[in-house]
Amino acid sequence: MLHFAQIFSYGLISGALYGLVALGLSLVFGVMNYLIVAHGALIMMAAYITFWAFFYLKIDPFLFIVLVTPAFFVIGWILFKILFQSLMGFPEGEKIKNSLLISFGLLLVFSNMATLFWTADERAVSTAYTGKVFDLFGVRLPYIGLGGVALAIIVIIALHFFLTRTYFGKAIRAVSLDHEAATLMGINVNRVCLVAFSLGFALAGIPGVLTSLHAFNPVVSFELTNKALIVLILAGFGSIKGVLIGGLLLGAIEAVGVYVMGTPYREVFGLILFVLFLMFRPQGLAGKKA
Amino acid sequence: MLEVKNVDVSYGDIQALWDVSLTARDEEIVALVGSNGAGKTTVLKTITGVLKPAKGSVTIYGVRSDTIPAHKVVDLGVSLVPEGRRLFRDMTVLENLEIGGYIGRARSAKNQNLRWISKVFPILEQRFYQLAGTLSGGEQQMLAIARSLMSDPKTLLVDELSLGLAPLIVKNIYKTLKEINAARKMTVIVVEQNVRLALEIGDRAYILENGRIAGEGKGSDLLNSEQVKKAYLAMK
Repeated sequence: MLHFAQIFSYGLISGALYGLVALGLSLVFGVMNYLIVAHGALIMMAAYITFWAFFYLKIDPFLFIVLVTPAFFVIGWILFKILFQSLMGFPEGEKIKNSLLISFGLLLVFSNMATLFWTADERAVSTAYTGKVFDLFGVRLPYIGLGGVALAIIVIIALHFFLTRTYFGKAIRAVSLDHEAATLMGINVNRVCLVAFSLGFALAGIPGVLTSLHAFNPVVSFELTNKALIVLILAGFGSIKGVLIGGLLLGAIEAVGVYVMGTPYREVFGLILFVLFLMFRPQGLAGKKA
Repeated sequence: MLEVKNVDVSYGDIQALWDVSLTARDEEIVALVGSNGAGKTTVLKTITGVLKPAKGSVTIYGVRSDTIPAHKVVDLGVSLVPEGRRLFRDMTVLENLEIGGYIGRARSAKNQNLRWISKVFPILEQRFYQLAGTLSGGEQQMLAIARSLMSDPKTLLVDELSLGLAPLIVKNIYKTLKEINAARKMTVIVVEQNVRLALEIGDRAYILENGRIAGEGKGSDLLNSEQVKKAYLAMK
């Protein structure tokens, strides 16, 4: 029983990370129908930059969040202007296809760049608190994992408040529901999309920092994109609220699956869940029609 | 004063408007009537800047609106209640109203405008925290109008208000529009397929046929003209 509780809590810790991983992807997809499959690569880049900052400058990874997040916002801003702005006028289906192609290219470019800069060796940031655990009735909870869960909850609540309590956040939601009606209300749709897109990039910063705290290599970009897409389906396309739940569900199922069937099958459970959801509940957990 | 002058408008290769001119003077209710596909909605989309004319000009209170981005046209004091309402269905009634008053000048007057709208459409106040998509058809149309009013427009454009609504509800909403027009000195341009209704409401009216202006005059005069009676009112 204790063993199961231990496995399950690890599952929830990974699940919170999966939720964070999918958040930026989900936001951008919801607002403008861009499917940025490069999201996993952005997170990987953020992880390597965090690694460098720790290795050379001894900056604590959790503190580094306040630097890496705005940096990725700026990167998103620039890449939108160069690569993605021209897709704005396309019909919905074309936007998905073209953004997917462009961002798949980006995914390849980033992963190869990472191999070039940091080699394919595994890296990890090992801080003073790495490996330290908090003992809860015999269940061992790593501090890093708890930090990840706390960050996931804080970020998702903060994003929720931004989207529901501020004028700009409401404008983002209005644009995601109806571009033309939003324009008629005086909202600059291009600008809102630019900011939402950059925000999606900025949201790669925190999962990047969390990724850097465990062993990782350039291939992690594909794994993370894979997880993000699964969570996107579980949550329901474009649903922010569903993302945390979807991530936790994926983490928990993976952990229990590994407990029952063994580690080699780890990736299988997510993909089975993915297919089952597409077959029986394509609108995702949040329940709205995709 | 709102002035559309000799505009040609196309959707890609397909031309929808030819040499259309119309004016709406201050505090006037202008009706734009015509059959399906005559180009009524296209005229409104041209005024709001969503479509740009290939030829001609649109002037709103002395400012050319056809040369500026669509989202800035609201700042000139024009607001469109779009066909099919186009509410933000997954947002609450209050959020829809807040987005309606998104532009700077309307934000500072938000509370004042909300109070006014609650008086004009009392039913909406009871529904503030409900999702817009859960309202009844009539309430949705009221919300669409209220949303446009939140930007404090000097001219309100209303597209196919009667679509899918019971005649009694339509009558009531038009009555409210007339009251707004009188109380707020607001210019109103209505597009309507129900020609009789539109001509009764409008001080003046334009008839649009196949993308061209086919007639104009006082609403009451047109209602009695042979042309209108034959073509639209099925009277011989």
